[in-house]
Amino acid sequence: MFGALADPTRRALLTAISDHRTATATELAAELPISRQAVLKHLTALADAGLLDRERSGREVRYRVTPEPLSDAVSWMTDVGGQWDERLAALGRQLGGGPTA
Amino acid sequence: MSDRIEREILLIASAEEVWAALTDPAWLEGWLAEEVELELRPGGDARFRDGDVLRTGWVEEVSPPTARDDRADRGGRLTFWWAADGEPASRVELTLDPSAHEGTVLRVVETRPLELLDLVGIPLPGAGGAGYGPALVAA
Repeated sequence: MFGALADPTRRALLTAISDHRTATATELAAELPISRQAVLKHLTALADAGLLDRERSGREVRYRVTPEPLSDAVSWMTDVGGQWDERLAALGRQLGGGPTA
Repeated sequence: MSDRIEREILLIASAEEVWAALTDPAWLEGWLAEEVELELRPGGDARFRDGDVLRTGWVEEVSPPTARDDRADRGGRLTFWWAADGEPASRVELTLDPSAHEGTVLRVVETRPLELLDLVGIPLPGAGGAGYGPALVAA
């Protein structure tokens, strides 16, 4: 899932869709400095990663952000990441050292 | 697809010293959890208690530091799986990189392989109640 989020354009698309609640590829291409074809490619990757839902609306497909996988993953990453920060800080106090840049 | 966190810390110690901190319960109980039992062999049982949170699991890989420069894991690598009661298991990989001048870099990668768990995340009986066995990795 986070592989799909590594690309800044994809994060910008997610933010834009989330701002509008739903959006089509045409609307997003008008808003962002990339072609509709490029937008579609990213939307497909995001939908395949489970981050976007597709919904047919007349001749267009509307995309919406799926809340659950993202929020579940984010809370897992926050919890687990915070626990490791504490553990490694304790280890660093024992052995000497600190986080790498 | 998996959730993943990654952390790195530079420790002012040799790879051998850091390896001891990763594998000796007396050291581990100073930083990883309050109580640690770790059977240091692939398939060995692992138990970690922190307050009222008990994590159980099993050891996947134990590769102590080696003098062989051609090995990517020459600094040592310890990999285990753990799960708190009722929660999905995740995989913890602790890798040592001895090439830093000032000391040893410890890299932690914890991953939670979601789709794999949906398919084969079946508690294995007889694994000391540990939960998830080697089938998870083989899948």
